[in-house]
Amino acid sequence: MISEEKLKILTESAKYDVSCSSSGSGRTNGGGMGNAAPAGCCHSFTPDGRCISLLKILLSNRCIYSCRYCPNRADADVPRASATPEEIAELTLDFYKRNYIEGLFLSSAVEKTPDFTMERLLAAVRLLRTKYRFHGYIHLKGIPRADAGLVSEAAKYADRMSYNLELPTEASLKLLAPQKSTESLLSPMRQLVKEKAEFKEEHKKGHFLPAGQTTQLIVGASPEPDSRIVRLSEALYHKMGLKRVYYSSYVPVVQDSLLPTLPVGQLREHRLYQADWLLRFYGFTAEEIAPEGENLPLEYDPKCAWALRNPQCFPVEVNTAPLEMLLRVPGIGGRGAYKITEARRYAALDFGDLKRMRIVLKRAKHFITCKGKYLGAKDERAVKGLLALGARQDEARQMSLFDEPERWSLGGADSAGVLVGAAILGGAGSAGGAGEGRMLSPAVWLLGTRETALAALTGEL
Amino acid sequence: MIYLTDGTRDGFLTAFLAAWGDEEAVLLPKNKRPLGPCVEIVPDPKRAQKALCRFRELDGGCMRELDRLLRCGDEGHIQTAFRYLLLIAKRGGPVRGMLSHPDVLKAEQALRRVAHEIDRMKGFVRFSESASGALYAPLSPDNDIVDILARHFQKRLPEYPFVLHDVKRKKAAVWDGEHLFLAPLEKAEVMLSADEDGWQTLWKTYYSAVNIPSRERLRQQRGYLPVRYRKFMTEFQ
Ligand code: SF4
Repeated sequence: MISEEKLKILTESAKYDVSCSSSGSGRTNGGGMGNAAPAGCCHSFTPDGRCISLLKILLSNRCIYSCRYCPNRADADVPRASATPEEIAELTLDFYKRNYIEGLFLSSAVEKTPDFTMERLLAAVRLLRTKYRFHGYIHLKGIPRADAGLVSEAAKYADRMSYNLELPTEASLKLLAPQKSTESLLSPMRQLVKEKAEFKEEHKKGHFLPAGQTTQLIVGASPEPDSRIVRLSEALYHKMGLKRVYYSSYVPVVQDSLLPTLPVGQLREHRLYQADWLLRFYGFTAEEIAPEGENLPLEYDPKCAWALRNPQCFPVEVNTAPLEMLLRVPGIGGRGAYKITEARRYAALDFGDLKRMRIVLKRAKHFITCKGKYLGAKDERAVKGLLALGARQDEARQMSLFDEPERWSLGGADSAGVLVGAAILGGAGSAGGAGEGRMLSPAVWLLGTRETALAALTGEL
Repeated sequence: MIYLTDGTRDGFLTAFLAAWGDEEAVLLPKNKRPLGPCVEIVPDPKRAQKALCRFRELDGGCMRELDRLLRCGDEGHIQTAFRYLLLIAKRGGPVRGMLSHPDVLKAEQALRRVAHEIDRMKGFVRFSESASGALYAPLSPDNDIVDILARHFQKRLPEYPFVLHDVKRKKAAVWDGEHLFLAPLEKAEVMLSADEDGWQTLWKTYYSAVNIPSRERLRQQRGYLPVRYRKFMTEFQ
């Protein structure tokens, strides 16, 4: 049994958003395979409101690197510890058996050399899968500059792997994480994409990183605008087939002359997640979301901001508007849009119906008509005023809603995506085995028909 | 008229057949007998089976929904199920898309609550290991779902016998390694294994170490993990 002290050190050094550990605080999500439920599962919630799904821990926090933002960097004076692969495997099993966790999220600081570290990570997951026949979810962080053979070997056992890009440009990375380079992060990512494709060619069955790859970007430690970040994410989804990009607002845990001393507001991170959502599930392009060189406006959510930039598209009539357009209405989400398209097949809807269907009209009413009736503000200026952040009480609540752990996700799909996917395809069933990288596709893969989409609404999948 | 049912599917379907021509029918569980005239329904498995087949023809998914609705712990859940199935019978097909219809809406909400709790409990259940190696978890869910949860854990931990104890309904779902069954269970005495304490302590250590105290958001935590569920969770003991 691992000692309490060691567990404490390795957990605490894994919890910071800026270190080798993280991939989006608490939003990190299983989407398990094997015996894990297809929907990610929260096993507990900590007083900071985050979900505990996986045992998130470092194998070691002894680091030879010195990323300037990281509390575990080589020259920092913090308590150090390393666990053995056996200790980690045993801990995972005993936690899993008691239903404390859904699986393991294992990472490590770079101890001694990249290869040494990668070998030990590999040893831990191999123990779990072969000796202990563990079928729960495993997310493994890749170590940059480790031997390619070790990386492919590890991918045989893990459900998901991630290399964190950390900073949106090479220049920023050089400055803040001098021992890493964009290439040292991108090249194993590309290698895994290629190997996964080859594996699929050769094998009809079996798994190779079934939950794909993810990455993380630290927001606000370097000067890049949001437009840059959103474009990078778009490229990562399209070209690399990533399942998720996580954004982590920079929190100064370390004093450094090159780093900002003030934390970046959670709001910016929140806006980026909203933008990411629009990219993945709502059919928006990066260009539509954030014009070149600009940041996402803080006072409106990105969908609202787009709608305000494009008043010629509104209002839309809920009884006739195509699904793609309903999805672009501020305040109407995937579930809402889906409910509308279902319900209007039986009867024309008025505002009362929408209310009863629990569709929130606060923002939406400025952009829709029901049977030709409009209840929104008279002119554009009034709409803007009503929608801006200060004017709304609900933003704080919304933010916490948005932070909701993605309990529905399977390798990146979420309930909105699932429903949207099924609905857009009008129940066209099996895009068999589809799902690497293209928008909506994991959703389609999850769901066959309209009926099952509805089952997702009313019951478990 | 008021019809009293025993909460089983057969009982419900028998009551449905008795009540469905009655404009003012109200279906209640037996233990909620009001003052005044009521009809007590005796389940008739044969007729219930016929109704079941007919409903399956009308809507392939509605019997599964009925199963879930009958598990619902809300007041009035049997009536909700009745109104929903009545609409299916009247319209002669699935109605679950009619989300602006009050009866459909009510059923959808009840179904969602049951599904939501099943989802939550899959995470919140806490097993302790007994001296014999079997796992034991007490719980007190709002809805009657232990057997559904048991199927989930049976798939997940096929090699570990376990007892899922619904202390509110005084029954348990038991997996003995070969069979899954329900049994009445008032109180359980469990001898813990030698290591159990140690693992529980490690879990508590982990739980407090992952927390970031400077970002405390207790309201949000309460929303996701309501206080009533914490009673049996190791990290809150
Ligand atoms: S590699 Fe960098 S981010 Fe990772 S633990 Fe070491 S110093 Fe921290």
